[in-house]
Amino acid sequence: MLPSFRYVRPRTVAEAVKALSEPGARAHAGGTDLVGCLRDEVFDAKAVVSLSGLAELKGISATKDRGLRLGALTTLAEIARHAEIAKGWPALAQGAAAAASPQLRNQGTLGGNLCQRPRCWYFRGDFACARKGGEPCYAVEGENTYHAIFGGSGCYIVHPSDTASPLVALQATARIAGPKGTRSVPVEKLFVLPAVDHTRETVLEPGEVITEILLPPPLAGGKGLYKKVRARGAWDFALGGVALALSMKDGKVWSARVVLSGVAPIPWRVPEVEKVLAGRALDAKTAAEAAEAAVKGAEPMSGNDYKIPLVKGAVEEALLSLA
Amino acid sequence: MTDLLYWLQGAVPETPAPKVEMPPWGETKVVGKPVPRVDAYERVSGSAVYPLDFALPDMLHAAILRSPHAHAVVKSIDTSAAEKMPGVRAVITGKTPGTDIPWYRSRGKSYSKLFDDRVRHEGDEVAAVAAETRAQAYDALKAIRVTYEELPFVLDPQKALEAGAPAIHEGTNRYGDPSKYERGDVAAGFAAADAVVEGTYSTACEIHAPMEVHGSVVKWDGNRLTVWDTTQGVFVVQQQVAAALKLPLANVRVIGHYMGGGFGSKLEAGKYTVIAALLAKMTARPVKLFLSREEVFLNAGNRPANTMKVKIGAKKDGTLTAIEFLSMGSGGAYPNGADTSFLAADLYTCPNVKTLDENVAINAGRARAMRAPGFPQGAWALEQAMDELAKKLGMDPVELRLKNVPKVSQRRGNQPYTSTGLAECLRDGAKEFGWAEAKKKAKGDGAVKRGVGVASGLWGYGGGPPATVVVKLFADGSVNLNSGAADIGTGTKTIMAQVVAEELGVPLDRIQIEHADTGTTQYTGPSGGSKTVPSDMPAVRAAAVEVREKLLKAAAEEMKLPVDDLALSNGEVVSKQDPSKKLLVTAVPGLQRQQVLVGVGTRGPNVEGKVISMFAAHFAEVEVNTKTGEVTVTRLLAAQDSARVMNRLTFECQVQGGLVMGLGLGRTEERVLDRNTGKMCNVNWHDYKIPTALDVPAEQKVHSVDLVDTECNTAGAKGVGEPATIPTAAAIANAVHDAVGIRVHDSPVTPPRLVALLAGRGKKG
Ligand SMILES: Cc1cc2nc3c(=O)[nH]c(=O)nc-3n(C[C@H](O)[C@H](O)[C@H](O)COP(=O)(O)OP(=O)(O)OC[C@H]3O[C@@H](n4cnc5c(N)ncnc54)[C@H](O)[C@@H]3O)c2cc1C
Ligand code: SF4
Repeated sequence: MLPSFRYVRPRTVAEAVKALSEPGARAHAGGTDLVGCLRDEVFDAKAVVSLSGLAELKGISATKDRGLRLGALTTLAEIARHAEIAKGWPALAQGAAAAASPQLRNQGTLGGNLCQRPRCWYFRGDFACARKGGEPCYAVEGENTYHAIFGGSGCYIVHPSDTASPLVALQATARIAGPKGTRSVPVEKLFVLPAVDHTRETVLEPGEVITEILLPPPLAGGKGLYKKVRARGAWDFALGGVALALSMKDGKVWSARVVLSGVAPIPWRVPEVEKVLAGRALDAKTAAEAAEAAVKGAEPMSGNDYKIPLVKGAVEEALLSLA
Repeated sequence: MTDLLYWLQGAVPETPAPKVEMPPWGETKVVGKPVPRVDAYERVSGSAVYPLDFALPDMLHAAILRSPHAHAVVKSIDTSAAEKMPGVRAVITGKTPGTDIPWYRSRGKSYSKLFDDRVRHEGDEVAAVAAETRAQAYDALKAIRVTYEELPFVLDPQKALEAGAPAIHEGTNRYGDPSKYERGDVAAGFAAADAVVEGTYSTACEIHAPMEVHGSVVKWDGNRLTVWDTTQGVFVVQQQVAAALKLPLANVRVIGHYMGGGFGSKLEAGKYTVIAALLAKMTARPVKLFLSREEVFLNAGNRPANTMKVKIGAKKDGTLTAIEFLSMGSGGAYPNGADTSFLAADLYTCPNVKTLDENVAINAGRARAMRAPGFPQGAWALEQAMDELAKKLGMDPVELRLKNVPKVSQRRGNQPYTSTGLAECLRDGAKEFGWAEAKKKAKGDGAVKRGVGVASGLWGYGGGPPATVVVKLFADGSVNLNSGAADIGTGTKTIMAQVVAEELGVPLDRIQIEHADTGTTQYTGPSGGSKTVPSDMPAVRAAAVEVREKLLKAAAEEMKLPVDDLALSNGEVVSKQDPSKKLLVTAVPGLQRQQVLVGVGTRGPNVEGKVISMFAAHFAEVEVNTKTGEVTVTRLLAAQDSARVMNRLTFECQVQGGLVMGLGLGRTEERVLDRNTGKMCNVNWHDYKIPTALDVPAEQKVHSVDLVDTECNTAGAKGVGEPATIPTAAAIANAVHDAVGIRVHDSPVTPPRLVALLAGRGKKG
């Protein structure tokens, strides 16, 4: 059952920031994640602050440097069907298209997708686990098929977003408005590892909202994609996935950014893979080596060591499909 | 098998054979045609009122407090704060007078109470509240203070049998002695075999997950209770509610016009109905009590998980010499069927068979019959083992099965079947599917490999009495059909109308149906077990034929022609000899005098000395990504033997739905229980994965072998709902094996499981 809360719909970002600075206030964009969390009593809300009236958070437009500005309220469906995004930043378009289901993509926003809460079933269920301020992490000794093989400590969620890894690969920046003014944070630095703080997923402070995401211009000789492996065809989070942003020169990889999804509490960049790829042609040998590098240092839990071959397979397939 | 749906009731009721003559239909005019549903408009326009939509003036809303623990003793319950919450009108617990009602009866013993002070699984009932709004009721639940003493719990049936395992009920954790069956000499059979295969297979626990959650609206008028229930059988609910509340049957009226799916989980009365009735009595207000989706996951039944050890021996030519099938399952925290061995003992000709079914209590939600209870699990094991055997013998899996098609039901005393379509299903199915060509086609040289698989199955229950149906022909020629059967979304009403139209020559839109109401319609069993067509349609036919006979007799007097010369067509009585001689039905004086002609039809007994079974063979084509373990089911074909197809459209719907459900068992569905708390992890729609439209193959074909069976019943039709889901999962697993050479022993075939096997990290077959 939903808790009872105050509902406010500010007209300006300043008003929104003010309302969100109150204790117990929650931002509401498309509501596809927030309302589920409230209904399932994952957390409480004193006030729900709708962002839907904020014109500044809407729309997709070109930036001066041929990059792109995406308002935080841009829906996943808009991103998935945007011709320019598909051409210049394919990993993002594919990530958005791979998320959830058509209904949810029509309603869910980019800002909300980045700030959605984890899907760990203990977190969502009737368990007072560590991330909810309780104890312990039930996943460690429990049912951890869908949990992290990298970056866990004290909590082993995987980040649920299918747009986060592409945005990290594409070196996107989040613009944030808050009580102390605005700031820019690279999406790569937006997320928080449990070792730093296992009770939150982003660096956003109380009262802060993401207003827009900035994409740098497409890379010269750029190629990219997002590959997601899931247990069913729709309405399902990644078992493992990979976002690639490569720039090619003379048939070889000039630079590469490779970010895994579904394997760690944050989008998991794998510099070892990027190193393997640099200067190499995209052939079977390179792909196999890159795949091997992608899982180096993985620490599977009792029920998820399948993620090692799965991620290897996904990386290999992804690279070969760009060859 | 006949007691399949009556285990809760004891004796199987009977109705006498009808007195009218009903020779097998030859060419039919309406029956068998692809007639759209008579209630299609109501269903798609939203004007059909489902129990969940139902509201009464002054109605209260109730909610149930459930155990958060897998196993505990309820030490104390303090409801004082809850009683003072806004809108709260009543709170009940096991201490409230009138709640001492035994529940979960089996073998003459009850295993629990409406509110037991011992809770045996997460979700067991502890208390309930009625309030002005649903939100107030749920808020009040939170204010009830319960002190639990947690007990050790057990989730694995095997472990539940070990010494020192937590005792869930008095004495043993076994639900009765293991059921054993043996024929021939299994040891000798294996000794005589040229090839023997052996393996252990398991199926995951599945949740029914019907669209409409379980629940009722109840209302008292003095000592008479009316229940609007989402149910597969109003009379079962009437009996159980009347027994629980110690009321005469006549005082309990259960109405179940529309319902949003049950798949077996709504074949009994829920505690929720009785709790609602008690709350309604205490408050003198109507009460609505529907479960939340989470409660349905926890506490409205499931297809139990099973572990099955199979061993099959055969001669070089494929002749089976021995089958051994040992099954372990769990009815859950309270008794329910969990046997799976029937197929192993009946599907193929084999002289030496030994089966054993163990059913053990665990601290998890109780099972309920789920679409062909036990059979898809049995097929998962048996049909994969048959596939292994074919491989070992170097035989085509279709040929191996054809070699062993039975003529008699060996499991049921070698009685012949009224019809056996297994060979036709295999042969026609293989042809329609393009089996031979598909087998020859290359597997693909990239990472994605293609494969095909086949599996077959039978469903051993052909319906039967009791059923009583009343058909009324009014003076204007319109017809009222009255049957107690529930239409659980399968098209029962439509088929009933077709039968009446066939016999009375009345257009479908002149037929109105009263159904599923214990107050106004006649007794029949619940709609389950694929028995509604074979049980109820003969009674409908008998009632319509009786009306026709009365009408023709009256017309014969008027027309001065022999009755035998008369037939009904398009609202007219016509002479067969001289078609120019006719009389409008509405002009028959006998009808006008009485204003109504009534026919009462019953379902007579089944044919003596024979058994009725439906057969099926399913074919699957899959693509497996060997790098990631992703599986795409690209094609499915179901070849079904249900004898006469009563309506092509509803038949196809049943089979398509059966395939999708089978795909769920094979590919996506699995209840996950947390090993450390016994609580369900995936108690929601996104973690419990039923297949989506994208998981269903674009090509999904339905083929009926259309056998003529004049013995199964007077409609000549066997059922279809269940056989349509029995072999699907096994066919998919066999296709996966064909594609990548890996045998997935445990359902479902998910990327995690498969990629681990492909990488040599899991158990390999
Ligand atoms: C069944 C299901 C399946 C799904 N499958 C997938 C999937 O496969 N892949 C995937 O990526 N996602 C998936 N999702 C998640 C879905 O994509 C997100 O729910 C959606 O993108 C969130 O957007 P929203 O606008 O609805 O967010 P909301 O629900 O409105 O907000 C989500 C959270 O973000 C905060 N928030 C929202 N906007 C901002 C902002 N601008 N600044 C700061 N905080 C903000 C809110 O306070 C809230 O905590 C699934 C969701 C469901 C329900
Ligand atoms: S992984 Fe994190 S969210 Fe999940 S149970 Fe552990 S602490 Fe809680």
